[in-house]
Amino acid sequence: MHTPVVSRGNGLMLVVLVALVIVLAGCSTAQTPAAAPVAAVPVPAQGTELGARGPEQALVSTEWLAANLDNPQVRVIEVSVVPGLYERGHIPGAVNFVWHTDFVDTVNRDIVAPDRFEQLARTAGINQDTTVVLYGDNSNWFAAWGAWIFLQYGANDVRLLDGSRAKWEAEGRELSVTVPSVAAGDFTVAHRESLRARLPDVLAVVEGTTTASLIDIRSADEFSGKIFAPEGFQELAIRAGHIPGAINIPWKQALNEDGTFKSVDELQSLYAGLGIDGSQPIITYCRIGERASHTWFVLSQILGYEVAVYDGSWTEWGNTIGVPIANPSGTVWGAQ
Amino acid sequence: MTELPSTRADRQPFQRLARTTGVRLGLAVALLIGLTSTAYWLHATPGRGATAALSLLLGASLGFVFQRGRFCYFCILRDWIEFRNTGPVYAILAALAAGSIGYTLVFGIFLPNPFSGRLPPEAHIGPVSWVLAAGGLAFGLGMALSGACVSGHLYRLGEGSTRAPVALLGVLAGFGLGFLSWNQLYLATIADAPVIWLPARLGYGGALFLQLVLLGGIAFLLLRNVPELPPRPAQRFDLAGVWAVLFHQRWPALVTGALVGLLGTVAYMRIEPLGVTSQLGSLARTGMDQVGLLPTTLFGLDRLAGCATQVVQTITANGLLISGLVLGSLTAALLANRFQPDRLTMRGAGSALVGGILQGWGAMVALGCTVGTLLSGISAFAVSGWLFGLTMLAGVWLGIRSSLHRLV
Repeated sequence: MHTPVVSRGNGLMLVVLVALVIVLAGCSTAQTPAAAPVAAVPVPAQGTELGARGPEQALVSTEWLAANLDNPQVRVIEVSVVPGLYERGHIPGAVNFVWHTDFVDTVNRDIVAPDRFEQLARTAGINQDTTVVLYGDNSNWFAAWGAWIFLQYGANDVRLLDGSRAKWEAEGRELSVTVPSVAAGDFTVAHRESLRARLPDVLAVVEGTTTASLIDIRSADEFSGKIFAPEGFQELAIRAGHIPGAINIPWKQALNEDGTFKSVDELQSLYAGLGIDGSQPIITYCRIGERASHTWFVLSQILGYEVAVYDGSWTEWGNTIGVPIANPSGTVWGAQ
Repeated sequence: MTELPSTRADRQPFQRLARTTGVRLGLAVALLIGLTSTAYWLHATPGRGATAALSLLLGASLGFVFQRGRFCYFCILRDWIEFRNTGPVYAILAALAAGSIGYTLVFGIFLPNPFSGRLPPEAHIGPVSWVLAAGGLAFGLGMALSGACVSGHLYRLGEGSTRAPVALLGVLAGFGLGFLSWNQLYLATIADAPVIWLPARLGYGGALFLQLVLLGGIAFLLLRNVPELPPRPAQRFDLAGVWAVLFHQRWPALVTGALVGLLGTVAYMRIEPLGVTSQLGSLARTGMDQVGLLPTTLFGLDRLAGCATQVVQTITANGLLISGLVLGSLTAALLANRFQPDRLTMRGAGSALVGGILQGWGAMVALGCTVGTLLSGISAFAVSGWLFGLTMLAGVWLGIRSSLHRLV
């Protein structure tokens, strides 16, 4: 007996189905990249003292990474903001770290606790001497923030993919949907507290008891107090403006048009032109603490200056009772 | 030899037919070329790329399959409820089964461990509450009143339906009402409603097994109302036979369903779960925002998984998908000579509008419709998908029993 709901057109439907799949498969972003020579990974510094910093120790190019995907010494980590991005295709072998659950404590307002971070790093196959290469969307914002946490917790060789995920994709390089299965690593947390500044540290700078340069990396309108939050973002602080004495250098100025970092010479003159030459400690901040890591990365890892991130940032400062602010625009929260 | 007068008389209508056939086919080919070249152009446009191109092509494929298989949830359920013919229901069951298998494969990549406490990215797994049930019920009633669901109206647009645009306007208005009622409903229920994802309890294998058994059980129960097909003449697989199978006969239910399930899987794998209300809802949200009618905050809405709406000024990937759906259906309708604009009556317009409003409200509070919440939800093993499906069915049943569908 015939199953009445199936007709004999089935064979033909299969042809249609196959044709459909072929058309859909044609829409692929993946292309095979040209091979680049395998470069040796320099021996990282040991202990909690970071070794010499510079672009060679801080950045890898897409070519270098493509040639080192199978290098057991290298572990690639994606930290992107857009959900589903990693899952739908990532750099082959890359492990996914979710910024809002893996890198933070979801209860206390703090970065991830050391024991949980150690566990995550070990699960990702990271050893004490692993070269950790981070990349992500949005010009590496959250990858840079991940690098800051990795270095705070004692990793020695942490780099960013120059040009971020966007450059890898634009060059038509290989993407994979396979989640790598890696042997657990032996990473052990050590602490580098000096990379982080807290509210009292910043207050001491403002009150003149310690000396440091404060860099506000937000937009000029946020800095001046014209607006409380950029378009599309919630207002999180009830005061607008900036920390007294801070200078405004939006984070994006450190990048070329194609999203890669500017050269050391260009970066040095960019920041020196605004009085930042590495002669004194620097503290960077932004709105919620993440983008400040981008400028922190540029100044500390590429230029080798002494820099800390104030991750409480404007959300903490602009809401704290009794701390002074500068608000050239004179906006008053709640006023009509 | 004298020519028979009848032959001569027959020739003129035939020539006219040939001319209109030529126009139809020409238009269909032009549409196909237009769709593929637009996809090619989108692919090369910075800021658009593969996602946009693929959305358009997936939408067009979906429209084509919907039209050729007449994958209209309301017509299928009406055949069952009113005419006791369950044959077409197998298209929905096949789509859900194929989608579940496809999603299991994709989940294996996206979230290898279902017990990790996380949910797979973007999958339409929504909160389960009485609001969802009310949304499903309203949506089902709206389907009966307007003669189709949102996806049905979209593909009917390609067949020249004049009620479809009226119903879709109603959907926009219904979304507006949904936004206005959202905050109260969210605070009263949705905020605390459980989000139940079967694999988190049963694993992927267990969840797939459970759903296939459920779908198989339903398929078994419905077998007795499958009518006997009339005997069909032998058909040759020459060009004419192939043409007839592809473009004249309705595609068989199981094939149509399997293709819908496959397209749903491909969409989730490459772009986002299938859904057809995201751009419509965004249009309503943006419009209300511009005239100052939108609540300043929609509590929790943008954190929930489902057909997301946003205030946008551009055509989203979902907008390309539904544009493709309409054009793909139009292409299929032209090829099949099914492009037949009908006359709109006042009563038909009124019932389509009210049905659309009910559907819009239902789709807003349920975070999707028969595609986004039912198909993409059940494929993703969401209990919310099942609840929406059941209450939508109840709404359609009530609507048909009260003869709402006859208000044309």
